[in-house]
Amino acid sequence: MRIRCPHCGERDNGEFSYLGDATVVRPDGMNASAEAMHDYVYLRDNPAGLHRELWYHGAGCRSWLVVTRDTRTHEIRDVSSARDVALARHTGDAA
Amino acid sequence: MSEAIASMWAPRSAWAGYAKPGRHGRTQGEAGVRLTLRDGIGLATVIVADGQTDALRALVSERYGWTLPEPGRAQLFRDRGLVWSAPGQWLAVAETREALRDLPQAFRGVAAVTDQSDGRAVVRVSGRNARTVLEKGVAVDLHPRAFQAGQTAATSIAHIGAQLWQLDDVPTYDVAVARSFAGSFWSWLTEAAAEFGYEVEQGPAH
Amino acid sequence: MTTMTLRRSDADIAAETPERSQAYRVARGGLVDRRKLLDFSFDGTSYKGFQGDTLASALLANGVHLVGRSFKYHRPRGILSAGSEEPNAIVELRSGARREPNTRATVAELYAGLEANSQNRWPSLAFDALGINALAAPIFAAGFYYKTFMWPASFWEKLYEPMIRRAAGLGRAANAPDPDTYDRMHAHCDVLVIGGGPAGLSAALTAGRAGARVILVDEDFKLGGCLLAENQWIGSQAGVEWAAAALDELISLPEVRILTRTTLFGVYDHGSYGAVERVSDHLPVPGAHAPRQRLWRITAKRAVLAAGAIERPHVFGGNDRPGVMLAGAVRAYINRYGVLPGHKIAVVTSSDDGWRTVTDVLAAGGQIAAVIDTRRSVPHELRRAAESAGATVVTDGYVAGTRGHLRLKAIEVVDSYGSAQTIACDCLAMANGWNPIVHLDSHLSRKPVWNEDIHAFVPAAMPQGMVAAGAAAGRFTLAECLATGAEAAADAAQHCGFERKLYPVPGTEPESTGYTPLWRSPRIKGKAFVDFQNDVAASDVELAHREGFRAVEHLKRYTTLGMATDQGKTSNLAGLSIMAELTGQAIPSVGTTVFRPPFTPVALGALAGHHRGKDFRATRHVPSHAWCEENGAVFVETGLWLRPAYFPRAGEKDWLESVNREVNTVRSKVGICDVTTLGKIDIQGRDALAYLEKFTANPFGSLPVGKARYAILLREDGIVLDDGTIARLGENHYVMTASTANAAKVMQHMEFCRQWLWPEFDVQIASISEQWAQYAVAGPKARDTLRGVVDPEFDISNEAFPFLASANITVGGGIPARLFRISFSGELAYEIAVPAAYGDALWRAIMQSGTPHGITPYGSEALSVMRIEKGHAAGAEINGMTTAADIGLGGMLAKKKDYIGRLMKDRPGLTEPDRPTLVGVRPVDRSKRLRAGAHIIALDATPSLEADQGFLSSVAYSPSNGHWIGIGFISRGPQRIGEHVRAYDPVRGEDFEVEICSAVFVDPEGSKMHV
Repeated sequence: MRIRCPHCGERDNGEFSYLGDATVVRPDGMNASAEAMHDYVYLRDNPAGLHRELWYHGAGCRSWLVVTRDTRTHEIRDVSSARDVALARHTGDAA
Repeated sequence: MSEAIASMWAPRSAWAGYAKPGRHGRTQGEAGVRLTLRDGIGLATVIVADGQTDALRALVSERYGWTLPEPGRAQLFRDRGLVWSAPGQWLAVAETREALRDLPQAFRGVAAVTDQSDGRAVVRVSGRNARTVLEKGVAVDLHPRAFQAGQTAATSIAHIGAQLWQLDDVPTYDVAVARSFAGSFWSWLTEAAAEFGYEVEQGPAH
Repeated sequence: MTTMTLRRSDADIAAETPERSQAYRVARGGLVDRRKLLDFSFDGTSYKGFQGDTLASALLANGVHLVGRSFKYHRPRGILSAGSEEPNAIVELRSGARREPNTRATVAELYAGLEANSQNRWPSLAFDALGINALAAPIFAAGFYYKTFMWPASFWEKLYEPMIRRAAGLGRAANAPDPDTYDRMHAHCDVLVIGGGPAGLSAALTAGRAGARVILVDEDFKLGGCLLAENQWIGSQAGVEWAAAALDELISLPEVRILTRTTLFGVYDHGSYGAVERVSDHLPVPGAHAPRQRLWRITAKRAVLAAGAIERPHVFGGNDRPGVMLAGAVRAYINRYGVLPGHKIAVVTSSDDGWRTVTDVLAAGGQIAAVIDTRRSVPHELRRAAESAGATVVTDGYVAGTRGHLRLKAIEVVDSYGSAQTIACDCLAMANGWNPIVHLDSHLSRKPVWNEDIHAFVPAAMPQGMVAAGAAAGRFTLAECLATGAEAAADAAQHCGFERKLYPVPGTEPESTGYTPLWRSPRIKGKAFVDFQNDVAASDVELAHREGFRAVEHLKRYTTLGMATDQGKTSNLAGLSIMAELTGQAIPSVGTTVFRPPFTPVALGALAGHHRGKDFRATRHVPSHAWCEENGAVFVETGLWLRPAYFPRAGEKDWLESVNREVNTVRSKVGICDVTTLGKIDIQGRDALAYLEKFTANPFGSLPVGKARYAILLREDGIVLDDGTIARLGENHYVMTASTANAAKVMQHMEFCRQWLWPEFDVQIASISEQWAQYAVAGPKARDTLRGVVDPEFDISNEAFPFLASANITVGGGIPARLFRISFSGELAYEIAVPAAYGDALWRAIMQSGTPHGITPYGSEALSVMRIEKGHAAGAEINGMTTAADIGLGGMLAKKKDYIGRLMKDRPGLTEPDRPTLVGVRPVDRSKRLRAGAHIIALDATPSLEADQGFLSSVAYSPSNGHWIGIGFISRGPQRIGEHVRAYDPVRGEDFEVEICSAVFVDPEGSKMHV
């Protein structure tokens, strides 16, 4: 597999490690409930099709990435910087 | 400090115990690869604080006459300058560690600076077969249409994390690996270079 | 029996006989270099061949057809093909450490001194004792493993398996380490062309002329593909000349890379390909510094699959007899190698192109015994040519069986009236149509589809960026090969940004590719093989059908059809077609199995490359490595690190004595230990503290500049991730350590938190693990020792630099250093760090400074003993299953901040009062040796899962206590101090009484650290 790191360009998948679902959001702060945290830690969908996943470019720029991949074909539709995605999400929360 | 004590506190090359100066590998003809050990150079990680990229760009330009490289670029002049290494992060390079000593102070409030002069083993790879040798371990495309002087890649070579940057079109490359991996990296590099014949030399001391 | 028989004195005499002097070599013609005569041996007999031969062509030139015994039945086997699809001619090459089994004689390039041996025969190829398996054929039928060797179970390991392994043997691997090296290369291109036949050459020329970066890969040592094997013309040139001219032009194009002797063995996602180049396999030994093979990892934007096609055998009785060959192979041996595979050659064909064989055999001076065309109508001119040469021509007929033992002597032919005749011949050429090579395009699970027009599977949905051309696409004529190759490459080049330009394709002769395959002779005499390499016969497919294994995947696994190393290149379709016939289905309804990498076998050495022996994986050295080596340290691998484990001294009888001495010296005097392997992380920025507060489970808000604190990290599920220390170097500047084993994981986790969980924090994190050499200096004389290296302006007295202090200092007259007063051993201790280049110097300086105080270096063993004596948790305790409370640190967790793992650590299962908790254990009989992994059960318990109360995680002989001690997790352990239980270790058969005690075995008040 080849993943196009938005910072380094296209690289072999051996440079990356996989974490998993990028759609779950950590319940943050002292007000977070145990139930919400349980769901965040344990509950995952397993879609056949497009999936947003967290990958780490550990052998490259050490950036966390959000990779949109088709789980049936391995086709990769989009790779974004996870920090940019997270910052946009925070901005969204604030708005 | 007495002579004896001064010699006792001499720095040890990251390549010491692994690299032996001289001609190795294939013996016929001119060596296809030249490996220059770059000890004593200055290296520092520069990580910009949030929202301070413009300030950092101005600072490096004013104080050092450097350009802040874009992703994938290395801006070096006479072995001094910055090499991009991660988003918002650069490797400052100079011919001596002393040359970077005032960096933390200069960039205070704008960027976090950590000395890495000892953390990397750096070798300069040049010669007719330099690119071919690196291609044995580097999965990044180094063809001139894809990678030229002034470009850098953080990648892995033979399962060892490495950062390389191309200095000229000859081509000449600098390759930096974590110091503790120097022996294993050298073992790979010399096996890869053996078929071309290679010459090991100590870089200029400063 | 390899080298012994080689030196047999009669070998030279034997070579004099006409059979062994290339009697079957045609007087002229072929592409071999007749000026370069090469000696080689097969089964100890010497032969001669030419440069440009394969082992197979050289053997055939010498009249040797019998080259092996089959896998299951030990039937005599010959040479079926002239390419990499060969299922029969499987031999051992070379000898000694370079002996290589299971190589195909049809692709083994001949060189002077090549030593080859047949395999799977005993005592000799001509008389094989296990040929008796053929008589026992009924028990070796499909599924025989499952049926025959069922009972009794104990017979399997002792009797059945060894017996089957001997009987169904393959070659013998070398029993010495491989003396050769294997190289690796990464290559990138715009257009990858797979196959160097007419379609591939046409493609490479087109893309190359457009200026694209092209890689042309061909498994053969000579480019040209079928042009080398057939008598064909392209424009005014012979095919061979056209190929040579194409090669010359390709060489002149600077961005075209030509890889011959290179098999593209695998297609992977997103334009990644694997190929193996046989750099030196055609040489007696690799040249100086040259590898035997080179693995290519190719990344291509586009690929043209021009891998060609494989001819199909007919299925009839005795179709495996040596001398029965594919028709295309017969032509290849004649045209390319100048070898007539027989004196009297018969042809059985279901296609027009089988008749080419007649022309080529006659042109080479051979005799055509007969042509049997399974079709009713045959073009008149073909028939006339054969008949005028005196051949018997049978149409609408077939071959039912063969005669001969070790070599074909005659065939039994049935004509359209059903009457049989026997025709003498010593070679039979089979032409039953061609299968496009669909292996590579189906590597990514894309199944090929049936094309009724050509009666073959063709590529369907191709892997991204790949297009098939020529015979690989089912376009069999030479004109189509040249045209489709050029078109595919022009499109590919255009995709990569180059001009799409097609050049005029030179004219070719008209060709008929019409054929109607005969899947199986209607009447079969004897065993008719479908899969030669795995000895699967038509009757096995019938058996699978009778027993209900009719689905294609069941058929494959029940009969092992297509499961040999050739992956059924010559056999799959025959098996499928028979099953289709038996089930009354069309072939596409039966379907096909999926091919997987590698296309042909790849040596493990080629995949390993540089990474074997000491380079199997990278080794990391600590800064004191040189000194430790000079001083006889015994090293231990921990992860990638090579750490000194202990430093034996003369007279010490074992490791334990050395370790005890090191521990005693540290506890009474002073020791130094290299702890550089710890992860070291620099944390700076406006939000450094806010970030650390969320990242760590214990509070850091109150940590002043110049102080260090123990840190606990949890995973989000509440389990302990790691522990370390955090020192505050400045207002917004911290340095953290992580354990050796978890250093990379912690760094990755920190980046995850910074980039993904809390991107709003302004914090800068850098690994400085490699920058600093760090040593623990521990023991009552630690301060006195350090005073010898720390520059005098720094006061390190207990008052100025108390427990948990940290500071930037200098050593050796101005060398920057960091000093931390932290202790893992429980003694007065420091960790001192200098830039790694000075690590060697600092170590030597401390050793010198400590000599008057009796300093000892100590390794990871003594380090571990001392931490167990102090009850400190390490890897065996922080094992991915334990909470902070489990390791006795629950009280340290912050109450008033949100941090990773805060909520989940309170899950009911993790807070249950009976959870095993860290305590100490000592044997009641102090002479007993404790064992890590021993279970704790009550004194009167019968060992069972229910009776299990916990286990010992770490044990050590404690020189400070004079007996073995242990720490481990025991249910309600801290409330049971003083209770006696049993340490039950069924693995080592031990079971004795132990006492639960405090995990701190030395200085429980902790006073020694504070002096």
